Amino acid sequence: MASVKELRLRIKSVGSIKQITRAMEMVATTKLRRFQDRAIASRPYAEEISTLVGNLAAVLGEDLDDQPLFRPGKGERTALLLVSSDRGLCGPYNSNLFRELESALRRTDDTSKIDFFVYGRKGYQYLTGSGRKIERFFVDPQLEKIDYRGAARVAVVLREAFEAGTYSNVRVLFTAFESMARFVPTWIDFLPIEPSSLGGDGDATEAGGSLASGDVILEPDAATIFARLVPRYLETRIYNALIEALTSEYASRRMSMKNATEAAGDMQSELKKIYNRKRQEGITKDLLDIVGGAEALR
Amino acid sequence: MAELTLRLITPDAIVLDTQVTSVQVPATDGLLGILPRHAPLVTALNVGPLTYEADGKRESVFVSSGFAEVRDNTVRVVSEAGEPPAEIDEERALDAEKRARRHLDEARVPGAPQIDVVRALGALRRAQWRLRIRSGKRL
Repeated sequence: MASVKELRLRIKSVGSIKQITRAMEMVATTKLRRFQDRAIASRPYAEEISTLVGNLAAVLGEDLDDQPLFRPGKGERTALLLVSSDRGLCGPYNSNLFRELESALRRTDDTSKIDFFVYGRKGYQYLTGSGRKIERFFVDPQLEKIDYRGAARVAVVLREAFEAGTYSNVRVLFTAFESMARFVPTWIDFLPIEPSSLGGDGDATEAGGSLASGDVILEPDAATIFARLVPRYLETRIYNALIEALTSEYASRRMSMKNATEAAGDMQSELKKIYNRKRQEGITKDLLDIVGGAEALR
Repeated sequence: MAELTLRLITPDAIVLDTQVTSVQVPATDGLLGILPRHAPLVTALNVGPLTYEADGKRESVFVSSGFAEVRDNTVRVVSEAGEPPAEIDEERALDAEKRARRHLDEARVPGAPQIDVVRALGALRRAQWRLRIRSGKRL
């Protein structure tokens, strides 16, 4: 059993760890709120773009098959964008992601046909550690500083890789934010675009109907607008995935820091109890010694 | 006076959501004026000023490509950038203009790589529009 002095030191160190984790929890809470605000702020743009894409896709109808981004690529390989975090101490956030990745890889026949694109240092470390080939590691801008233009650049890299004909499809694995306590590793089939994944709510399809019937003026024409619109659509999807992954990361970090703070508190009171008992034992023993000594002198 | 709703939406915010009497958007084939009760329309946009008139006052906002949709007496403009004159960073635009001009000059040397010419031209146009809108002169 530890001595009284050692106990005192341990109580102190547990206390300072608790202070640190509490500070980290608070930082995570503010950042989480910031990313949530940004996710909400970007929603109208994404909705408007995807409604337009859906409506114009309805106008183009059969011609959609001629759009290169809607057909599987010529290549045989698969490109995969993995969105992880730059830093640790965020609970099972990354390990859940990697577990999902591994189980998906086990289901594919030939994993050597997959090229990895990575955002986040943890994902990079994991993939190099397991000896996988990394095609591109995005570091600029840092994941946490991501803005729409940064996300757009990632989308351009992926789209150009697809258009170059090396890949048959492009997929994205990120962590979707479902609630403050639920983050689910999720796949998106990024390219080729599934026509069924387009189109918005009922209102949008109604508008799509009036578009298709030719009641809407299109400047310059449907195909041209569509060709300019689709890259924007892909950008919003990537931006959305990155922001959602960041939100999940911080929600996860906040939760694990909160647990750590609570655990440190529990440990502190537990140690305090032992410490007090020890201290009392010492005092009792000292008293007995004094009394015993005094008795002997009489 | 008849009015229509103008909404300008960027990835970061809804920049405008207001009642106006007329709108001019920089469509790909030139400026396009939209008045209340315009027929439904979808158009692609260029870099340039989105000009609107409300209460007899004309205001311009810088937009950088994107799309405009007219439906139900509402103009929805979605663009990557939507900057009112007060938000335009003049110094940055001046820098961008200088840089673009330098790139264009460099590309004029025979044998120089031509890949960035399109990019530089785009940057130059964006910078010039920003400066013009910032100056507040009637466009």
